[in-house]
Amino acid sequence: MNRGWWWKFGLIVAVTLGTIWFLIPTYYSLVVMDRDQRNNLALLEERMPSWAPPAKYRLNLGLDLQGGIHMVMRVDTKTALQKRTERRGQQIASYVNDKKLGEVTSDTDPEKLQLTLTAKDPATMDAIEKEVLATFTDFTRVSRSGGTLVLAPDEGQTNFFREDAVNQAMLVIRRRIDKWGVAEVDVRKLGTDSIQISLPGRSNPEQAKELVGTTAQLEFRMVDDTNPQFFAQMFQQNPPPQGSNITLTEEGGFPQLSSPSREALLEYVKGKVPDNRVVLTECIADPVRKNDCAAYRSYLVEENVPLTGESLAGADASLSQLNEPEVNLAFDPAGAREFEKLTEAGVGRRMAIVLDDNVHTAPNINEKIGGGRARITMGRMGARTFEEWLGEAQTLALVLKAGALPAPVTVGEIRQVGASLGDELIKKGGMAALLGMGLVLLFMAAYYKKSGIIANLALVLNGLLILAGLALFNATLTLPGIAGFVLTLGVAVDANVLINERIREELGHGKTARAAVDQGYDRAFWTIFDSHVTALIAAFILFFTGTGPIRGFATTLIIGLLASLFTSIVVTRTFMTYFVHGRNAQTVSV
Amino acid sequence: MQILKNKTNIDFIGKRKPAVFLSTIINLAIIVGIAAFGFNLGVDFAGGTVVELKFNHSITAEEVRQRAQKGGLEDVSVQNIGGADENSFLLRMGGVTQLNEESATKARAAIEGLGNVRNVYPDLANGIVNFRSATALTPDAIKKAVEGTGTGVQEVRELGEAQGGGFDYQVVASGMADKVYSALGQGLEKPDFEQRRVDYVGPQVGKQLRNRGIMALLYSMVAILIYVAFRFDFKFGPGALLAMVHDVIMVAGYYLVTRREFNLTSIAVLLTVVGYSVNDTIVIYDRIREDMAKFKGKPFAEVINIAINDTVGRTILTSLTTALSLIGLLIFGVGEIFDFAAAMLVGIVVGVYSTIYIASPLTIWLDERAAAKEARQAGPIDQQPKAA
Repeated sequence: MNRGWWWKFGLIVAVTLGTIWFLIPTYYSLVVMDRDQRNNLALLEERMPSWAPPAKYRLNLGLDLQGGIHMVMRVDTKTALQKRTERRGQQIASYVNDKKLGEVTSDTDPEKLQLTLTAKDPATMDAIEKEVLATFTDFTRVSRSGGTLVLAPDEGQTNFFREDAVNQAMLVIRRRIDKWGVAEVDVRKLGTDSIQISLPGRSNPEQAKELVGTTAQLEFRMVDDTNPQFFAQMFQQNPPPQGSNITLTEEGGFPQLSSPSREALLEYVKGKVPDNRVVLTECIADPVRKNDCAAYRSYLVEENVPLTGESLAGADASLSQLNEPEVNLAFDPAGAREFEKLTEAGVGRRMAIVLDDNVHTAPNINEKIGGGRARITMGRMGARTFEEWLGEAQTLALVLKAGALPAPVTVGEIRQVGASLGDELIKKGGMAALLGMGLVLLFMAAYYKKSGIIANLALVLNGLLILAGLALFNATLTLPGIAGFVLTLGVAVDANVLINERIREELGHGKTARAAVDQGYDRAFWTIFDSHVTALIAAFILFFTGTGPIRGFATTLIIGLLASLFTSIVVTRTFMTYFVHGRNAQTVSV
Repeated sequence: MQILKNKTNIDFIGKRKPAVFLSTIINLAIIVGIAAFGFNLGVDFAGGTVVELKFNHSITAEEVRQRAQKGGLEDVSVQNIGGADENSFLLRMGGVTQLNEESATKARAAIEGLGNVRNVYPDLANGIVNFRSATALTPDAIKKAVEGTGTGVQEVRELGEAQGGGFDYQVVASGMADKVYSALGQGLEKPDFEQRRVDYVGPQVGKQLRNRGIMALLYSMVAILIYVAFRFDFKFGPGALLAMVHDVIMVAGYYLVTRREFNLTSIAVLLTVVGYSVNDTIVIYDRIREDMAKFKGKPFAEVINIAINDTVGRTILTSLTTALSLIGLLIFGVGEIFDFAAAMLVGIVVGVYSTIYIASPLTIWLDERAAAKEARQAGPIDQQPKAA
């Protein structure tokens, strides 16, 4: 055999071994590990031999196979925009009246999202129009006739607002899921106004409903720091049970309890809290997986809620004169009065900003704050980068707004599969795949003899490559994906049928075995190439337009077709060449 | 072993006229059928709720339906899935939320009974009722009032003070799945069934999914057509396209005739058929191109017939291997996966047929027309051999 052949042979051996090596995490995750521990990557890493690939390269099972919930929420940005336009209209009207430019009333057209300002005295409208357009730059002029001015929200502003509303909703949903402590959650934006949520392994519809349910509850509560050592004393007098993982930490002179489990922490403090006080927790973000909570820390707050998000008119992140990020709050008139009263009484104490029972932050009240405007500074930069620091301010502003400006969220789609059904589908899907593959293997071996067996080897390698490819790209194997897997094997073997038929034909023309094999591969190559490309075109379009399980189908098809080009042409040809060249054979078994 | 022992010499092309005629009739019948009867649209496209239940004892579909009706679920279809001993059922309901025209009217009356209420807008599609009240109300009171009419309430939202006085509220109705659970579990201490799967698709999302599916089909056909035109001669393009359209219509016919559910997976099947159907066409086109060079001077139709005869064995074989791989899915696949395999099988068979009797005749016809046009322009003497 010549050098080029050995190179190819080496490549095939390397690919085969690499593929098998790469499937180790998949094997451990699906076969060795317990079914509940499938997604526990740390444990998986521990179980596998040290030379195995990283645990994250295991084959993910789709929600339809492992059980779980797939949801699409639609953020009703239209309603939110209507409310906003209405609110702005009121603000414009009161601005005009305050400035003594005249007297106007505002009216909102909810369908067109337009604002109609009508002046009591049409003569004042010229001045009003000029002032309003100069001040409220988020509105543009649509038309004007006499004392009536029609305004529409600026498109850029509207889009920004829409995006903002979806981001807020996403944040709220994220936090609620975090509260359940589910790992492997995927929350992403879908299109312009939808949010897709994937919760593997969770099959309790009640909890899924909770997600869609009530809009975020934002509260301002006073932290009880009358006894700064409260948690330290509790910890010493009633040490937490063994193995509960509850520890005592201290930051800024206030000892806190800390635990990786929120439930455990709340269970421990139960009954140890004075009257009119409650313990709330703060989520300490995991340094690596920022969306997960590494620990929960305790706060003792007053039960009474003096101020809620309803009183908040707006929140924005900005940079102070010292170039430090800060969050500016604005309260409505009633909220402003309440806030002033609260801060006056609470100078030197901390005020907890609580969203959905999670303490987000607890800034110190430095002075009495009047005028309905407040500022939350973000502390020292410390080890954070500036972007992170500013990002925290923006997140906080979002959190605050999320409570203040709820855009209604409705359910677009829920697909929920129970874990037992998932198991059954895996079993049935596996059997279907094995049977289909077995039949193809049998047929090829019987019909084409030795070259059939070579094609079969390539086919098995193709199957392994698909699985490894799915694992490599962190794609998920879904039920339609299994169907795609089976179909791809059928298509992959087509290529070898084409080649072998061509070889037979060339032999029929009286060519030698060697020439027939070469001709067979050369002539069939473009046919195979073309047919794979057309199938790939359809698969890619399916991939880009499909969602959920269908996307899994497309992924499997794409990887399978690419793998098939390699296995059915390169791999089989290398072996066929060995049989006709290596042994100087005059015949070939096709 | 060999399926076709000797080289065949069948006059495929000679029978093209009756075949094309027959295909046209069948295709038109399917299109008319789709227009007249429509598909049995699944929740993916129609919107609605599907709940899969597994009972822990033996029960028939009729009994399940009766129990559902007794629990207050009127429009529900119950279908047995899996083996008879599995006691698994699919319950399908049109609505996604408990708000329908009738219950919305009742809910509206209840809300209006709460006091000075205006602007009550039920939004059936989203299962929401919006209204404005002159006085502030408590969400609990609203919830109680609406639930009193038999509509489950998931939540009452306070939308805040309205411009020009009054308070806005939004009542969100519960989903149908909850109703199934409570209707079937009525009077039982512990439900004797397990809710294994819930699919719920809102009507707007359904429409969106449907449009996207149709667009995907069109895009892929155009993209494949461009590729074929680029790789082969342009005159091969229309034949490949028509063959694809034919195959898609035939597979759609499977869903039409069997009344099996047409859903997202069905779109995936149609797209796969588009990609697969053109495979056979390409195999023959490749051979036609090769034979055109080999048999210069022979009439085009004859060259095509030779090419078809040369490749018919392998076309049958490749289809056979693909079909073999699907057998497992036909045996073990339930629901949409069974349909996937069955529809693919239809696609494979019609794919072979359309290559021979749709793609090839159209290519011949186009060629003849082009030749005739050329002849008219150049005069009869100058006529070139078509296959050159």
